[in-house]
Amino acid sequence: MNAYITSTGRFLPGSPIDNEEIENILGKVHGKASRLKNKILASNGILTRHYALDSSHKTTHQNSEMAALAGQNCLDKRGIAKQKISMLSCATSQGDLILPGFGSLVQAEMQLQDLELHTTHGICSSSLMALKAAYNSVRTGEHAHSLVIASELCSRLFKASRYEALLNAKKPDFNAEFLRWMLSDGAGSCLVETKPHKQSLRIDWIKSFSHADAFPTCMSVGASSTGQTWQDYATYAEAESQGALLLRQDVRLLDNIVKIGVDGFLRLIADDYVQPQTIDYVLCHYSSDYFRGKIFEMLSQAGAAIPEHKWYTNLYTRGNTGCASIFIMLDEFLQTASIQAGQQIICMVPESGRFNTAYMKLTVVEP
Amino acid sequence: MDQTQLNPHAQACLRGLMRVWFDFERRLNRIELIKRLETAAFSLEDYQSLLLHLRQQVIEGSRWITRCASSFTRDYADVRSIVIGHANDEHKDYELLEKDYVACGGSLSDIQRGERNPGSDALHGFLMYRASLENPIDLLGAMWMIEGLGDKMATSWAKQIDTALGRELNCTRFLRYHAENDHQHLQRFYQMLHRTCTDQLIADRIEKTAIVVGRLYCLQLEEIDEA
Repeated sequence: MNAYITSTGRFLPGSPIDNEEIENILGKVHGKASRLKNKILASNGILTRHYALDSSHKTTHQNSEMAALAGQNCLDKRGIAKQKISMLSCATSQGDLILPGFGSLVQAEMQLQDLELHTTHGICSSSLMALKAAYNSVRTGEHAHSLVIASELCSRLFKASRYEALLNAKKPDFNAEFLRWMLSDGAGSCLVETKPHKQSLRIDWIKSFSHADAFPTCMSVGASSTGQTWQDYATYAEAESQGALLLRQDVRLLDNIVKIGVDGFLRLIADDYVQPQTIDYVLCHYSSDYFRGKIFEMLSQAGAAIPEHKWYTNLYTRGNTGCASIFIMLDEFLQTASIQAGQQIICMVPESGRFNTAYMKLTVVEP
Repeated sequence: MDQTQLNPHAQACLRGLMRVWFDFERRLNRIELIKRLETAAFSLEDYQSLLLHLRQQVIEGSRWITRCASSFTRDYADVRSIVIGHANDEHKDYELLEKDYVACGGSLSDIQRGERNPGSDALHGFLMYRASLENPIDLLGAMWMIEGLGDKMATSWAKQIDTALGRELNCTRFLRYHAENDHQHLQRFYQMLHRTCTDQLIADRIEKTAIVVGRLYCLQLEEIDEA
C-alpha cells in the first residue's frame, strides 16, 4: 500500500526576531555583549528566527503547546476531524518534561483520543524517524490517518542565566556558544494517509544511515569536559556549574557531517533509490554554505550534483529549528512553490549529534 | 581539465571512489591510535611511533610508483609521463619525515634502522605486485587513497598533533607538505581517470584496488600499537 503526505502545518511562536534583537531576548552573559555572535551569524546566514521566550525569559509557549498548534494547523488545512487520527508520532530533542515521552504531552494538549503513540528521541533527524514510523504504519495498512509532529524549544537552553551558572563566572567556550546563535524554536507537522487528498506527496522511501560507531559525539547536552555525564554529579546544581548542561557543538568535527551526507547520497544513487537527474527539488535543513567546497566540486565531477536552483530552504528566515526544520520547510515550500504531478522532491536531514543522516523521496501526485 | 567532463564510466568510478574514501575514514576513526589522535589524547610516544612506522612505507612509496610507470606500454605513454612526474614529486618526502622524527625527540639511526610492520609489508607487497602487471590502471585507486591521505594528514592530523604536542616542536612538516599542489594533483587524477576508465570492468578494478589499499593501510596503523 502507498502512503501519502496529504497536509502539512507549522507553528512559529511570536514575531520574527532579527539579528540585532537576539541578545535582548536571550540576554547578555554577565551583562556583556557576545564577541562571537556576529561571526557565527555571518557564517550560518540566518536573518530572522522565532523564540517561545520573552525578554524576561518567561516561556510563552511550552514545547507541547507549539507541537499541538502545528498539529492542529495541519488537520485544519486538510479539513479532517481529529477523531480520525489513529496514530500520533512525535519528535523533539527535548520535551518539556524529562519523563514521560513527548508524544504523551502532545496528545493530551491536542485532546486526541484512543490512538497509538510513538515518540522519537534524538536531534535533527528524529523528525524523519517519527515520519518513518507513521509511513510504515500507514503502508502496512495498520493506520489510515497518522499525524506526525516535530517541535523544538531550545531557547530555554540559551538564556544568559544558563551560562552565568558556570563555576567562578567562567566564560563559556566557543563550542558552548556556537549553537546559541544558530538554533531557535518552532514546530512543524504532516499528515500521512492511505489515499491522496487534492495535491499530495507520495512517500517513495525514507532511509537513514547512522555512523555513531565511527565518530565522537559532536553535539550534546549532558556531557562535561571530564567525561562525566550530568547524572553522575551529586546534584544537578553541580552538573550545571561544571557546564554539563550546556548545549555544545564540537565544531572541529562538523566537516564530517558533509562527508557522511554525501556518502549517504552516493549510496542511494548506487542502490538505485535515486537518480540525481530526475530530482526537481531538494529540501535540506542545513546552511547551504556547508555544501560548497571541495567535496561538492567532486560530486559535480562525478555527475551526481543537483544544480543550486533546485535547492529550497527557508532556514534564513524561519531559523534552524532542529528536528522541526524539515517539516516547517516542507510546509512553506508547498505554499509557495508551484509543483506539478510527477515532480520529485528529495529531503535531506544531516544530524551532527553523533552523525546520522536521513533522506526521504517524495513524488507529487494528483488524485 | 576543470572544463572537461569525465566520461560516464569515470564518473561512476569517481562516485565509487568517494564512497570507498568515506568508508576508509570511518575505518581509520575506529583504530585506537587514531581515536587518541582525534580526541587530543595523543602522546609524544604515539607520534614518534606513527612516524617510525610510516617512514618504512613512505620510503618505499617511490618504488611502486616508478615500477607502475615502467609497466605502462606504448599505448599508455601519456599516462606513463604523468606517473613519472608524480614519482618525481614525492620520491624524497621521507627525508622530511625523518627530520620531523628527530625534531620530536627521536634518533635518526633508530628511524633509519626501522623495519616495515606486517601491515606496511602487506601494503608494499600488494602495491609492488599490482605495479608489476602490464598497464596497471587500477593503481589509480591506490593514488586516490594516497592523495586523500596526504590531504587528511595536512588538514586534520597535523593540526591535531600540533594541538596535542605543541606547535613549537615544529615536527609536522611531513604531514603538512602534502597540502601543497593539492588542486593540481586532483586535476591530474581526473585527467588520468577520464583517459583510462573506459568501461565498467576497469572502474570496478580501480575501486577494488582502492578498497584493498585502504584495508592494508588500516592494518599498518593497527600494527603500530602491536609493535
